Amino acid sequence: MTILAFVFAGILAASLPLLLAALGEMVVEKTGLLNLGIEGMMALGAAVGFVAVYLTGSHVLGLAGGALAAALLSLAFAGMVLGARANQVAAGLAVGVLGLGLSALFGASYESFTVSGLPKLAVPALSDLPVLGGLFRQDVLVWAAIPGVVVLWWVLERTKAGLVIRAVGENADAARAIGYDVVLIRAGAVAFGGAMAGLGGAYASTVLTPLWAEGMIAGRGWIALALVVFGTWRTGRVTLGALLFGTLVLGGLAAQAAGARVPSQLLASLPYLVTIVMLCILSAGRRRA
Amino acid sequence: MRTLKTLATLALSAALALPAAAQDDTLKAMVMLPSPEGDVGWSFTMIESLRRVQAEYGDAMDLTVITPIPEGPDADRIMNNAVADGNEFLVLGSFGYMNGGIQLAKRNPDIDILHASGYLTEDNFAPFAAKYWQGTYLMGMAAASLTESKKLGVVGAFAIPELITSINAFALGAREVDPEIEVSVVWVNSWFDPAAEQDAARALLSQGVDVLFSNAQDTPSVVSLAEEEGAYVFNLNSSMKAYAPSRYLGVVGTDWSPWFAEKIAGHLDGTFEGEFAWLGFGDDVLFMADYSADIPDDVAALIAEREAAIRSGDFDVFGGPLVDQSGTERVASGASMSDPEILGMDWHVEGVTTPLPN
Repeated sequence: MTILAFVFAGILAASLPLLLAALGEMVVEKTGLLNLGIEGMMALGAAVGFVAVYLTGSHVLGLAGGALAAALLSLAFAGMVLGARANQVAAGLAVGVLGLGLSALFGASYESFTVSGLPKLAVPALSDLPVLGGLFRQDVLVWAAIPGVVVLWWVLERTKAGLVIRAVGENADAARAIGYDVVLIRAGAVAFGGAMAGLGGAYASTVLTPLWAEGMIAGRGWIALALVVFGTWRTGRVTLGALLFGTLVLGGLAAQAAGARVPSQLLASLPYLVTIVMLCILSAGRRRA
Repeated sequence: MRTLKTLATLALSAALALPAAAQDDTLKAMVMLPSPEGDVGWSFTMIESLRRVQAEYGDAMDLTVITPIPEGPDADRIMNNAVADGNEFLVLGSFGYMNGGIQLAKRNPDIDILHASGYLTEDNFAPFAAKYWQGTYLMGMAAASLTESKKLGVVGAFAIPELITSINAFALGAREVDPEIEVSVVWVNSWFDPAAEQDAARALLSQGVDVLFSNAQDTPSVVSLAEEEGAYVFNLNSSMKAYAPSRYLGVVGTDWSPWFAEKIAGHLDGTFEGEFAWLGFGDDVLFMADYSADIPDDVAALIAEREAAIRSGDFDVFGGPLVDQSGTERVASGASMSDPEILGMDWHVEGVTTPLPN
């Protein structure tokens, strides 16, 4: 396998946790809220998902459990912000800390345990292509994510539900005046964002790197948060940003393995720089148009 | 994120870690580490070693374990609290605890502190490290006997001398058995990111590497991946054979308890000395275990011979002639490297193909 084949084979899976969490947060932010607790929600999803897969052997239960646990945690955020009118930044950070703490608690007796990941499903013929072939051998979640992103885009941009979500975010008073339950819609979006972050975390701990270790999310929640902002709250761009970031991380490791004469520290910081620059260029181009 | 995690840890440690009541005749010891304890790895080995010493003292020694504490100002606060709570013997298990730890030692001459991987000393502040390179040399020999592609790979955390030295010894050992062998390195630039560690290992495997050295990963990320992909693998500190039952090459293990026991005894009778301890086979701190049964008998015999010679001092891992990556001779034939030179090694030997980041 060449180094390029390695990168192509890994991009989608490596980007998926970021992508799921970022798209979830994007929906939250479209309703006018900001949940800073993504890292903690991903960690909780990862811990609960891992424990479920370890105990039952079922990835369906693991992924669903991870998503559910993080969604419940995100409802604590919704309760504080929407119910008690607490400050969003403080509430989000609090939920994040709580999530990290809970993940450590649930995962404590499973530290460094491993499970099996999911099998790769190959597209006939295409997966035999040289270099690009690996792109067409992915696990079921990656395959499901592709139509999932399209559906999310379609719902947000082309349906009434998407219009309502945006209306709540852009002018809550007007949305309320024409009879929409702003609090309920926002709570729904927060729960969706939590579930997506939890799913991303559970994917990371049960499929991408099928082991549990406290702290394994390693900052990906914060990257997801940044991707939403630099992707200017647009499904396509956030997706592009997540893929770009994943590609550059893998590319950096691949370049080292291939013996490139570039300092590894530079390669390690490149994903952050390039993703930010690319997304800024994209949004600047759009403003001029 | 670091601050957040620390806040959470602070709350937890306040709730869980400090209930032990002080008794005058009980030695109160505390160990602080940057990664969670787990069942394998750096933190696990350090805590286990202390527990082994504690078992000998029974009720006369009280051990508090505080993990995971990121390096930084919060770590300083936590170690200060531990001293305020009556702990008189501290083990600080990470390089980045050094500055806070040495200040604490200066302010409290009655306590004694052991510090992993550092270089500063005080009368009551003793840094320590393991000579992993003694073991990685032997693992290089084992790897060379099993590789088919003649390409070995290393997943490294950070490009610091301690890790560079282990990699160099690994390459030297491999090339003693087979001079055609090449070693590639991928630096993850993180002490802890299992997903990136696995991707780094995959990148190496895609280049035809068929033996992996998991250098300073505290989880079985690389080891379990190697089993899955059919590559031989070894790691440091504690055995991870359970994660790679068919592909486990062995472990360069550490058991700190003999040295901890000595320092604790020194603390109790007032003979504690703050000097750097570099611990290897001869100190019974470093040991080899769980060698793969696939290693051919003649190489296994040669490995045993080399280990004995390293122990007795008859064999010098970094004995000349040593040539660096650019072909320049660094150590002349017959010469050897001094301890400070090995401790500060910032160049790769010939045979390591990856350029070193600087």
